[in-house]
Amino acid sequence: MSWRIATRHISTYRYSSPVSASYNEARMTPVASHRQAVLESHVSVRPVAPALRYVDYWSTTVHAFDIHEPHDDLVVTASSVVETTPAEPLDRDVTWAALGDPAVRDRYVELLEPTAYAPLEPELAELSRAVAAHEAPADAVDALCAWIRSAMRYEPGTTQVSTSALEAWRQGGGVCQDFAHVALVLLRNLGIPARYTSGYLHPMADAPVGETVNGASHAWVEVFLGAWQPVDPTNGDPVGERHVTVARGRDYADVSPLHGLYHGGTLESLEVTVELTRLA
Amino acid sequence: MPKHALGTHGPVEDLFEGYATGPWWDEMLEAPSAPRKVSLGLHETLRALSATDLEERCAERDRSFRDRGITFSLSGEERPFPLDPVPRLVSAAEWEVIETGVAQRVRALEMFLSDVYGRGEIFADRIVPRRLVATSRHFHRAAAGVEPPNGVRIHVSGIDLVRDASGEFRVLEDNLRIPSGVSYVVENRRTMARVFPELFVSHRVRPVADYASHLLAALQAASPRGARGDPTVVVLTPGVHNAAYFEHSFLARQMGVELVEGRDLVCRHNTLYMRTTSGEERVDVVYRRIDDDFLDPLHFRPDSLLGCAGLLNAARAGNVTIANAVGNGVADDKLAYTYVPDLVGYYLGERPILPNVPTYRLEEPEQLEHVLERIGELVLKPVDASGGYGLFIGPQASDEETAAISVAIRASPRSWVAQEVVLLSTVPTKVGSHLEPRHVDLRPFAINDGERVWVLPGGLTRVALPRGSLVVNSSQGGGSKDTWVLAGDEHTSAAREGDDAERTAAAALAEIPAYGSGPDLGPATGGAEQQQQQQQQGPGPPCSAG
Repeated sequence: MSWRIATRHISTYRYSSPVSASYNEARMTPVASHRQAVLESHVSVRPVAPALRYVDYWSTTVHAFDIHEPHDDLVVTASSVVETTPAEPLDRDVTWAALGDPAVRDRYVELLEPTAYAPLEPELAELSRAVAAHEAPADAVDALCAWIRSAMRYEPGTTQVSTSALEAWRQGGGVCQDFAHVALVLLRNLGIPARYTSGYLHPMADAPVGETVNGASHAWVEVFLGAWQPVDPTNGDPVGERHVTVARGRDYADVSPLHGLYHGGTLESLEVTVELTRLA
Repeated sequence: MPKHALGTHGPVEDLFEGYATGPWWDEMLEAPSAPRKVSLGLHETLRALSATDLEERCAERDRSFRDRGITFSLSGEERPFPLDPVPRLVSAAEWEVIETGVAQRVRALEMFLSDVYGRGEIFADRIVPRRLVATSRHFHRAAAGVEPPNGVRIHVSGIDLVRDASGEFRVLEDNLRIPSGVSYVVENRRTMARVFPELFVSHRVRPVADYASHLLAALQAASPRGARGDPTVVVLTPGVHNAAYFEHSFLARQMGVELVEGRDLVCRHNTLYMRTTSGEERVDVVYRRIDDDFLDPLHFRPDSLLGCAGLLNAARAGNVTIANAVGNGVADDKLAYTYVPDLVGYYLGERPILPNVPTYRLEEPEQLEHVLERIGELVLKPVDASGGYGLFIGPQASDEETAAISVAIRASPRSWVAQEVVLLSTVPTKVGSHLEPRHVDLRPFAINDGERVWVLPGGLTRVALPRGSLVVNSSQGGGSKDTWVLAGDEHTSAAREGDDAERTAAAALAEIPAYGSGPDLGPATGGAEQQQQQQQQGPGPPCSAG
């Protein structure tokens, strides 16, 4: 059955001295799809600033805003209510030949090419072929995700937002962002179009209705197997009711939740909280 | 009236003595001493000149440039702009082909850009591979969804042409980003009027001095508020150290608009303002002479201090027009060039009026092998470069260079195209004390105001100065010629009087005061510009930018 989830994502930036001007883009609005209905969404900013709302190349809703009054704190709050649906099994029928069709490869060329976060690396390319000697692309997806979990430890704090797949893989661990980037390298190398997906994960499989819990931003990937289908290389769970999808792109750089520039002060601290409430 | 009388004592020697014609097309002579019809008068005038006369004309030319302070920056060094005293003539009939062909090409490229940053129908229809665009470093996804108010993305273009041995004009390269050189077209003409005043009496040369008024009208027409709202246009320059700064200030002055740098601009809530001594003034159209990468640090290089943060979103919000549009480079690299004839057919249902030079895409394995076999006969060009940098000319290359380029194109076939050598046409050019044939190309400038594509009747004729050289780029030390498009019957009186009349009008345009730098966001704060990112696993160090 589907879930209804309320999300509240609060980012608080504190500066050591006042910031005089700040230009930002927030990508924090869940995306509507056949798997996810967006019932409400709202992004607010303090100090108050009018936002330009637009949909970017990757179909992500962006709130662009700039602030010109001196401020010591910047608080961005993104709230939404979405309806999520149960996980669907991967399409086991799609063949390598279908994925190798020149029309498919051209259609998704930018989701097959290496990126800065998910670069081409001979060693990883070799590994992806060794691990995924399977009959069907869907089995290869499962095998690669399982292999990532066996080869990399989940270790918050060991990597940074700027860490590439290669760096994370070499140090043998990282967080969901790193797992997702490594998955992109392996999948794309086999010729499976793959995209980075950001959002939120409700931590409880049997979450009680009405209870607000602290969740987290999360990242996983979507693979093209005749249609786009999500997989979660970090925990191996099916991507279903607990996953709220916000943005997709070639890698983290396309979906960064808040991207901006400012003049003046220095960032002293950043506090991020994600509150998730299952409503139904 | 002419200061120089025609040689009264008769020519001491013939400037054309020893002038060689060859298998190429000479713009003036069909055969030695046999001028083409278009050049009869010019040839006769030149024949009557002695070497001393020609030197005097050149001295006048140099004075004219020096008086106006016009120089050209070559590898960081300022030099007098090299203008050859012999003009290049284009007949009315020849010009009509160029004019309609350039306009056709610009119309097709406009539709391509609109498609690329919109629905992508040409990819769905399999005319052009998506890969062409998706792997181009000039494809700016941030520009997707930015709709130009009057539909124009290519406000100004420079379509480089060459003329082959059969006399046919072919397109060598499209320049849809910030083509430069038009200031030299106008200044060369002003100089030539002093050097050969009598030729302007005997020839009906179409004027070029009204370029800036066409440009201003097109920029105003592109304003989000429309041309009638008296839109504010500015010219955005990277600054005085840019090689084309002269042109930026020239165009701003000629249009009577402000010349600004990034620090003079500020975006506030998706509206662009310039700082003036009397406060902030809203800007409607930015004629920017800054590359995309430096235009808006929010979307492109975060360390750029040349542009203005928020500019792209101001355009997206429909509050300002950026001319030329962001992301045009996806349509003018040398790989996209190979598809332009297909674009003309697909979007316009027409046949190209101006053909391409035969060009091979090296990503296609058969073409790569074919090119490697014939590499000594071909020209190889880096897809991304312009200005003649990185050019490999097979017939002139050493064995080592040939071996090196073969390795390079195998390693990165996306980065190169191969072209048949075109034996460029020649024009008599002063070399020492006489005239010799030198190879030339032609860059006409087109302005799209949304109603029509207007092509300046003239253009920059660039000259490869070393004997036999086919490399004409001024960034590679080439020279230039004034290009005279002769009026046909329909242009009689306007052309005859227009040039002087409009030159006077241009000179009368008010000089604008130099613009002071803004009070804030200067080095003290601008240098501290920093990038902030939301982070999932605790804050990392902010990337410093500046």
